Amino acid sequence: MKKILSLLLILAMILTACSGGKPPVSQTPETPETPGPAEEQPEDADGGKYAEEQVYKTVYAEEIQTINYLTTTTNVEFALAANLVDTLVDYDMYGVLQPALAETWEVSDDGLTWTFHLRKGVKWLDFEGTEVAETTAHDFVSAAAYILVPENESATANLFYSVIKNAEEYFNGDITDFSEVGIKAEDDYTLVYTLKEPVPYFESMLTYVCFFPAYGPFLEEMGDQFGTTNSALLYNGAYILSEFEPQMHRILTKNPTYWDSENIHIVELNYKYNKEATSLAGEMYKRGEITAVELPASIIDEWMNNPELKAQVRPGTLGNYSWFYAFNFDPKFDAQYEPENWKIAVNNPNFRKSVVSAINRIAAMQTEEPYNPEYRIINTITPPNFAAQGGLDYTQTGALKAITEGDFFDKDKAVEYKNKAVEELTAAGATFPVKILMPYNTNSTSWANEAQVVKQQLETTLGADYIEVTLLPHAPTGFLDGTRRAGNYSFMKVNWGPDYADPQTYTDPFERGFNYNFPEYTTDVTADGQNIFEVYEAKVNEAKAEVTDLAKRFELFAEAEAMLIDNAFVMPYNVSGGGYVASKVHPFEAPYSSFGISSERWKGQKLLAKPMNTEEFEAAQQEWQAAREAALKEAAKK
Amino acid sequence: MKYILIRLSRSLLTLIIVVTVVFLLMRMMPIEGYFGASFDKLDEAQKTAKLNNLGLLDPWYIQLKNFYTDILKGDLGESITYRPKVAITKILGDKLITSIRFGLASLAVSLIVGLSLGIVMARFKGKFWDKLGTCYVVGANAVPAVIYYLLIQVYFTDIFKLPLLYSKSDPKSWILPVLCLSLVNIAYYAMWIRRYMVDELNKDYVRLARAKGLKNKDIMTRHVMRNAFVPMAQYLPASILYTVSGSIYVESLFSIPGTGGLLVTAIQRQDNTLVQALVLLYSSIGIVGLMLGDILMASFDPRIKLSQEGGSR
Amino acid sequence: MTSKKIINNMADNIDPSLFDFAEYDESKSELTGYSNYSFWRSTVQVFMKNKVAVALLILIVTVVLFTLVQPYLPNQKSPTKIYLDPNTGLQYRNVQPNDEFIFGTNSIGQDLWARLWSGTRTSLYIGVAVGIFEAIVGITIGALWGYVRKLDAIITEIYNVWDNIPSTVVLIILTYIMKPSIPTIIFAMCMTGWLQMARFVRNLILIIRDREYNLASRCLGTPTGRIITKNLLPYLVSVIMLRMALAIPAAIGNEVFLSYIGMGLPVDIPSLGNLINEGRALMMDPSQRYQLFFPAAVISVVTISFYVIGNVFADSADPRNHV
Repeated sequence: MKKILSLLLILAMILTACSGGKPPVSQTPETPETPGPAEEQPEDADGGKYAEEQVYKTVYAEEIQTINYLTTTTNVEFALAANLVDTLVDYDMYGVLQPALAETWEVSDDGLTWTFHLRKGVKWLDFEGTEVAETTAHDFVSAAAYILVPENESATANLFYSVIKNAEEYFNGDITDFSEVGIKAEDDYTLVYTLKEPVPYFESMLTYVCFFPAYGPFLEEMGDQFGTTNSALLYNGAYILSEFEPQMHRILTKNPTYWDSENIHIVELNYKYNKEATSLAGEMYKRGEITAVELPASIIDEWMNNPELKAQVRPGTLGNYSWFYAFNFDPKFDAQYEPENWKIAVNNPNFRKSVVSAINRIAAMQTEEPYNPEYRIINTITPPNFAAQGGLDYTQTGALKAITEGDFFDKDKAVEYKNKAVEELTAAGATFPVKILMPYNTNSTSWANEAQVVKQQLETTLGADYIEVTLLPHAPTGFLDGTRRAGNYSFMKVNWGPDYADPQTYTDPFERGFNYNFPEYTTDVTADGQNIFEVYEAKVNEAKAEVTDLAKRFELFAEAEAMLIDNAFVMPYNVSGGGYVASKVHPFEAPYSSFGISSERWKGQKLLAKPMNTEEFEAAQQEWQAAREAALKEAAKK
Repeated sequence: MKYILIRLSRSLLTLIIVVTVVFLLMRMMPIEGYFGASFDKLDEAQKTAKLNNLGLLDPWYIQLKNFYTDILKGDLGESITYRPKVAITKILGDKLITSIRFGLASLAVSLIVGLSLGIVMARFKGKFWDKLGTCYVVGANAVPAVIYYLLIQVYFTDIFKLPLLYSKSDPKSWILPVLCLSLVNIAYYAMWIRRYMVDELNKDYVRLARAKGLKNKDIMTRHVMRNAFVPMAQYLPASILYTVSGSIYVESLFSIPGTGGLLVTAIQRQDNTLVQALVLLYSSIGIVGLMLGDILMASFDPRIKLSQEGGSR
Repeated sequence: MTSKKIINNMADNIDPSLFDFAEYDESKSELTGYSNYSFWRSTVQVFMKNKVAVALLILIVTVVLFTLVQPYLPNQKSPTKIYLDPNTGLQYRNVQPNDEFIFGTNSIGQDLWARLWSGTRTSLYIGVAVGIFEAIVGITIGALWGYVRKLDAIITEIYNVWDNIPSTVVLIILTYIMKPSIPTIIFAMCMTGWLQMARFVRNLILIIRDREYNLASRCLGTPTGRIITKNLLPYLVSVIMLRMALAIPAAIGNEVFLSYIGMGLPVDIPSLGNLINEGRALMMDPSQRYQLFFPAAVISVVTISFYVIGNVFADSADPRNHV
């Protein structure tokens, strides 16, 4: 009896586990399943620059969480949305503004009212390609109404209400009538924005997700399920998300009714998910299963040492997240690291300059970019190619030009500064060695390596009797809360990404009361005895107020930034992006924008027959740079 | 029967304790984790709105109360950071099925191959098969699994022309993942059943059976196996039930959309609802598995009495 | 007999000189059979007969001694010092094993030889600490759990609660509150490690707790502690020994897993888990494979040794194998 009972138990368990199971939950249209990535890449056209079959295949390791573009700020997510939904304006491959959903637009004399005239006949499609409605000006208003409701948890709402009149008040509940907010659809094809004050960079903001349209009735119908899966979204962009299975794959197919469809050459974008993409992607690329791969630092050596593979590799394009090392002026760390002593030391300019001059940034960068570390090094907080005025790039403007063309690393100077600092600091009552607390995030091996390299550089060049660097490994959970925001560091690498295409955005981290490096606590003074931060703040405010003479505006910002860098309040380090890719995609044919989502678009891109190699890349980059300068000058004339 | 009922009611209490503890632990995590990288750029109003929506601003006992009332209604809630606003049951549904399928396949393979190997090793103790088996067992455990999984994936797909990644439509893509999953378990079962059998073979009743002239095969299958298997039976129900939590390594490598690594990811992303749902699921399984294992073990060996009265026959 | 003389006829020449008086010593009648048997000595004897196990034991002892001695040998480099390429002034990265760097360097120019031995020291230290804790706490609780019926209910539920709280949550909270470091990881692993040992011991005790000899002991009034230590545990010695021997490789394997999910030791403290994780990313590159090979070799040697030693010791600890 017992034997039978036990056998039955086992059987019951197996049966319950096997049986049941709901049908697959995510939606796929009735078309036959798209062949998996195991399919071989078809042969490329002979002699042609471009591949015969324009299908892009890749693997990715970072899954998106939502497709609701009205709430997200994650790069991968708005990169996806960029191809599914169109915006009022867009950028061309040189970064010059072009009409997109808006055919023409004008701004009032006082700079407060922007009127956009929309293109007619742009349709909203669902995930199966069925037409649902036409895109009208009301869609922008519906999207704005959604964003400005706090319960919808839009992370970009603050960007929207930082410029649009009455938007913040509506968000906070001070106004309850939405019609008072500065966005109106005067008729189906006319959209009017009213700003709080003149904003010279307003057009660049229009490409960001908070200014995307969404079809009102659909938005209401979906409620909080909007954007949770591909059937919960409508498309008017270049592609439709025909298949979406998280942790498996997603497929974008070309939108046949797209208004600019003749410029869309790649007919299908096929993304397959694999958490171990860093280990496997190289292998898959070699087998022809994917079209493009980002080579992780660990296998770059293998590819570079093999001439056949090396010919297929090129540097990746640069991003716009700026990384820099910051000195903390309001230390709040453990007594064992002597915060009081640090406070004295950090306010001494020679001390700061000695530290900055002792760091060989190229060697430090090599931990992340073993080949060509100079590529990502920048000398300013605002990256190059980010904003330009009158054809002149911001980093070449005014006081920044000298900084961009110079370098900080100088071992002899470092020792010179050190000697001066020792004199001055001993007089001020500091003790040596000065303890430097440098945290890093343990989830990044390259950061851990970099921290070790920087520590050793500082201690070797400046001597362990002068400074003592302590590395503070911190878990990724609550990393910023536990280090930067809490003032729990002396010297640390931090980063900032732009919110719009104007140098003003890179002054945000240094605002009084913010939580980066608390420069308002400095006691350091300029040559004529004024507090450095106060001078900086005044300059920035002056620049912000300058909304008409843009060349002057840029110059003022450049002066302010140069102040921070020359006084070694921060040490600019690198810009995101880079790495090496093996890819059949031409990097300079896509729309270019230093901010926003345009760079993520596939418009104008074609798959090459062969992957581009490094020499071709460098040639193409120079070509592009020159053409961009020319195009910007042209545009500035208008 | 009475024993089972008492045990089940105790288990319910345990379950509640576990889920509550995890609930509270998750709320000890920093707030910035719910917002991701853009935390610096958000205004206070936005942060408050989101936290309010998630119910995280209420005092902890209110949050607990809401949580339990929802569960009783059968509502496991929606994910908050993993896939925002998507119902947990929707996320888990498919993944569970996939993991269970792989788990059961691998369990079947491991048991059959592993037990057979172990029996052979015990039977031929000290001779060739034992040595060969020991090499395998030791090898499978000595080299860290991450390494040989990747090697198997890369080299076997090349040699045997198998697909690199798992896809639902291709049955051949099952072979390597199941193989990888089973390798370690085969070693485990083989090693332990060999140990238990060797222990049994030294006992007096075996000597008696041999003296009586029973065939070796009969001694093994009818007497020794049954006794040796008893300690292992304890783990069997739990193993079957635990197939719902897939293997994190194998699923990452082969792109299998299962639950392996889901818990770790959910915890790292601070997706409270998903973590709670998973803990609820895994705890129930663990508790039930332990109980079923005890019952199974007792049913195999009548000398074991689980209930309070005790005493053998 | 004092003299030899052949007597053909009993009636002939029997005289008292042919006989000796047999002395009677009372104390000799108290002598009982004495067997010079010592359990552990026999175990060791049987163990020594297995040449492979002995060889591996010597190997592992050598390895452990070497890791302790290595920093004091001449010409040893520091495991965290970053070496610069004399030509470029940049890090001397990914240098293949050569005269200066016996095992080569890693991606930022640190000496792998030094890192490997330092890492082995760290990992063994963690493994031993966790193993000992597991053994003591696990066996005690497991035995009580299995034997004392009254405690069965409460310990089962404690086990259930403890086991089902995901160790990842505990680990993340711990590394968030305490810095990521060696004591944190030992603490975390100890917290969760004893569970399996306890369950294992409990299962075995459940099987034998009601056997006749235990009933007999209970009838005689033997206290519980004595029953556990004298009746039950010795019966289980062989399997417990095996389990304990495996605890150290298991702790190392656990550490590798934690490094894989990013919860391990920070990279500036070398450990076998870190080294394997770093090397794993380079596995596909033939010129960099050495970074994986050496730590994997060390882990394999350690694991294999403990397995074989554990198994052989378990076999020899079984009294039925003692001759």
